[in-house]
Amino acid sequence: MSQSALRDQVHPTRFRDLAVTVDFHCHSACTFCIVQEGMNNYRGVPFERFVAIVEENLRSRKYDRVVFTGGEVTLEKSLLDFVVHARTSGAFRHVRLQTNGRKLADPDFTRTLVDAGIDEFFVSLHGDTAALHDAITQRPGSFDELIRGLANLATHPVRRMTNTVVHRTNMAAFEGIVEIAHAHGVSEMDFWNYLPMEDHNDELNLIAPLGEAMPSLRRALDRCAAVGIRAVTKYVPRCLLGAHGATLDNSQPDTIIVETFWNEFPRFACLYESLCEHSDECLGLSHDYVRKFGWEEDRLVPEPRTRPWQPRLRSVDGRPDETASERDAPRGYPAWEALLAGLPAEVGHLVRVQLTRNQARYTLAVPQGGATVELVLAARDESARVLARTASFNLFYTQVNGSYERADMERLLRAACERITAHDDGSLSLDSRKGLVQLPRQGKERPAVV
Amino acid sequence: VTAPAREMTASRPLVHATDADRYFDYCLQPYDPLRDPRGKLRSESLLWNSLDTAGAPPSLDDALRAVQRTAGRDMTVIGVKHQAGRLWWELYFYDRLKEDPAVRAASIIDAVAPWFRIVPRPRETVPYFMFSFDVLPETAEGGTVDVVNLYLPYFEVQGGRSYKLSAERLEMDNVYRFLHPKTEIRQIVHDIRQSVFVDYSRVLLSRVLLPELIDCNRICVAKKRFADAVYYSGIDVGQLAYFLTRLDYPAPIVDFIEAHRGRLDHLRFDVGIDYAMRADGSVAMTKSSYYCTL
Repeated sequence: MSQSALRDQVHPTRFRDLAVTVDFHCHSACTFCIVQEGMNNYRGVPFERFVAIVEENLRSRKYDRVVFTGGEVTLEKSLLDFVVHARTSGAFRHVRLQTNGRKLADPDFTRTLVDAGIDEFFVSLHGDTAALHDAITQRPGSFDELIRGLANLATHPVRRMTNTVVHRTNMAAFEGIVEIAHAHGVSEMDFWNYLPMEDHNDELNLIAPLGEAMPSLRRALDRCAAVGIRAVTKYVPRCLLGAHGATLDNSQPDTIIVETFWNEFPRFACLYESLCEHSDECLGLSHDYVRKFGWEEDRLVPEPRTRPWQPRLRSVDGRPDETASERDAPRGYPAWEALLAGLPAEVGHLVRVQLTRNQARYTLAVPQGGATVELVLAARDESARVLARTASFNLFYTQVNGSYERADMERLLRAACERITAHDDGSLSLDSRKGLVQLPRQGKERPAVV
Repeated sequence: VTAPAREMTASRPLVHATDADRYFDYCLQPYDPLRDPRGKLRSESLLWNSLDTAGAPPSLDDALRAVQRTAGRDMTVIGVKHQAGRLWWELYFYDRLKEDPAVRAASIIDAVAPWFRIVPRPRETVPYFMFSFDVLPETAEGGTVDVVNLYLPYFEVQGGRSYKLSAERLEMDNVYRFLHPKTEIRQIVHDIRQSVFVDYSRVLLSRVLLPELIDCNRICVAKKRFADAVYYSGIDVGQLAYFLTRLDYPAPIVDFIEAHRGRLDHLRFDVGIDYAMRADGSVAMTKSSYYCTL
């Protein structure tokens, strides 16, 4: 799945953020790491490419914020080059570092980062005790380093945020994690539900059963609200957040990363997608979760919709990543579309072609007002009354929808018939055996074109 | 074409899409192809690959070509059936309005007569909108088809009942209905749970209503004599590949789809899974099928 196709699954509220993966090494080994196999194999974004991105953003002003991430980004020797360029170029309002926070224990290093231009630090806090946090990172002392890092950050005028990955190991600790963050002046806490990127069968037993994790998470969100910490949740069903539904933010920044990263990105589904008011922003459950714990059909509670449901684009349907040339290229029936080639745009345009068992149906639209008509081709039959007859086909029309000027509709149908007559060289044919060729109804309001 | 595709040694040639192709699902309802079909494969390529895989003799190809000539190109739905490592095919013929003598049973029975004999002859006053029969790899070597399935519609509900017709008896076989996977999900869940074969106090619904396939155009819930079944229609080639792997199809079929994925991505596919619960509470997927048109 491409990154663009992924957007279809997530809520695009943060697409003014750009994440740049600078490095793919790490000195922690978090049990839930989603790029474990890619670590040391993926390449970071070359500095030259980042320079080009900055240039482009200076022109487009598409992004307000750049987020440097990895791997563990603080291990990258050229990080400061990226940061300084991001800041001095003036291309971004905010420069954020996403880090495990361990190297921030060094006050000089932290000061250097701040001086270079980082104004937002997004650090990982996964346990409420050193024992739990270090067990998750699999690096003794990492909790203490992080805590010293948070203390160092408190001496600078920077925004401090934490990220906690919600998984089975820490699902009883969320309230305690809030207390630690609060004690260190954190202003925003993110809680991201664990999504396996590699261990799709959850052999590590990390996916948190929501029946157990959500009560703890809701209490943590209560506490955040009580102490004035802004909370953000990701990848959990909104209906299980109780009063904290508004914390759900499944958006993703645009991310500069190897494209194959997205191939394994989890897919989501919810049985109640079409029924729930919040299905536009709520992803439901990951397929991996559903396989392991089921659809949670009795636990999830859809809020009745007040608006009509629109299906999400499927990755294969919408192709949100397709290029302009692909978008304009013929779709399903290029040879049939070619029969209409040359239809003047000022007369109307082709919306789609459909082939049924015995007909080719052209949906045409007039240029003004959006009225449409179906021009139907059936196998040539001399005995049928028709709008027009070409070498191979009988033509008639049906399904006139919308309001239109009679003259406009006549002009469109006449032009379409002329184009099809001109292009019908006998190479296309329709099955004459099935179906009844319909005749146009003789309503006074309907244009007569023959 | 990928390197593995070039290396595959199939005895039957690939069939390429043409401008004259129409695209139908397994209910013979038209759909718009998902991509420009030029340079890609016709869905019947799946059939020929399965014949290769099953080691079917050329006589079956001849019989199927005769069916295609009689019913019309794209007018025959073929289900490739898989059960315990065995492959066979079910041929379906639709004629909802009883308007086309070419796809009534008598016509098809005559068309295949040089290769095999279809014994039951449905009474044409039976209001069937579709009939089907199975062929095995060896059927076209002078074999017989002893059972014909007749499908009767509901009133204003997309679905039906099927009956097995043989020389000895006519018996009801299954009931099924089609539902929208999103807007009619409560009905789908209800119909699935109404089961004598699966105890849903012991079995997760997700064992039979698969998240990987639910993103489809229609779900069909069927109640059969010895199993329940769920069908997913309108899935894409990626989902088909998942299905074939999940249901343990023979490697040459899985490999064929993977190798030609880029030349099948304009198509939609339909698949079905029969299932029942084992004594230990696990779900046995007893039979499955995927569909194409000929």
